[in-house]
Amino acid sequence: MLQEYMILSIILFCIGVVGLISRRNIIVIYMSIELLLNAVNLSLVAISADMADASAQVMSIIIIAIAASEAALFMSLFVVLFKKKSSLDANIFDMLGSKR
Amino acid sequence: MQNEIIFAILALLTIVSSIVMISAHRPIDSALAFIVALICIAALFGLVNATFMFVVQIIIYAGAILSLILFIIMFLNIKDENLPDEKNKNWWLLGTSFIVAPFGLILIDLIIRSDITINRVPAEGFGNIKDVGLTLFSKWVLPFELVSILLLVALVGAVTLAKRES
Repeated sequence: MLQEYMILSIILFCIGVVGLISRRNIIVIYMSIELLLNAVNLSLVAISADMADASAQVMSIIIIAIAASEAALFMSLFVVLFKKKSSLDANIFDMLGSKR
Repeated sequence: MQNEIIFAILALLTIVSSIVMISAHRPIDSALAFIVALICIAALFGLVNATFMFVVQIIIYAGAILSLILFIIMFLNIKDENLPDEKNKNWWLLGTSFIVAPFGLILIDLIIRSDITINRVPAEGFGNIKDVGLTLFSKWVLPFELVSILLLVALVGAVTLAKRES
């Protein structure tokens, strides 16, 4: 069962990387990052079930906590950027702190 | 045998819904497809007896994070002209998948060739809340405390980002 889980996790990771590179909508980019984290979680839980050890599950709980804090920051960033530029295009957000 | 059939159905659903997620034009469609993918991943956790991870995945991911995304999408009131006009989106997706696919194929080939399974028999009560909690508070106390600091920093950062304008 471990090999199938690892293969599924690799496929999900590749789909997430494709979405991360090729889309310009920032909400979709954010969800692609979450998909990458989920693929890693899936492989960690499969390894933990194969080794009969709960440590990998603890690692994926910590990854979920990191994803939750990342979600809070991303959401406030979306609100600020949308108020400023009224667009979701990642190509517009290239000011890097300049007052343009 | 039964487990393999359930795994195949769930894996197919996860892959299809994540492809829909990265290729949908409107963000609300991709958020709804992402919910399906997350619930399927939670069911895959349940399939290997990781019951606590199953609950955590459904409550935190499908419950908290995705409802936050849906809330923000509805709060921003996104019109069609606010979305980026990705005219060549499908070509971009196709080209990028041709670039990424060799790496994935090499990794899958490596996994198939190597003999990584150990198949240790789990003890009684593996993956329930007591087992995971005992491991978290005995071996992994330091990362747990660091995560609490990280959550505090994220809270302060979100508040300052949202209040900067006024």
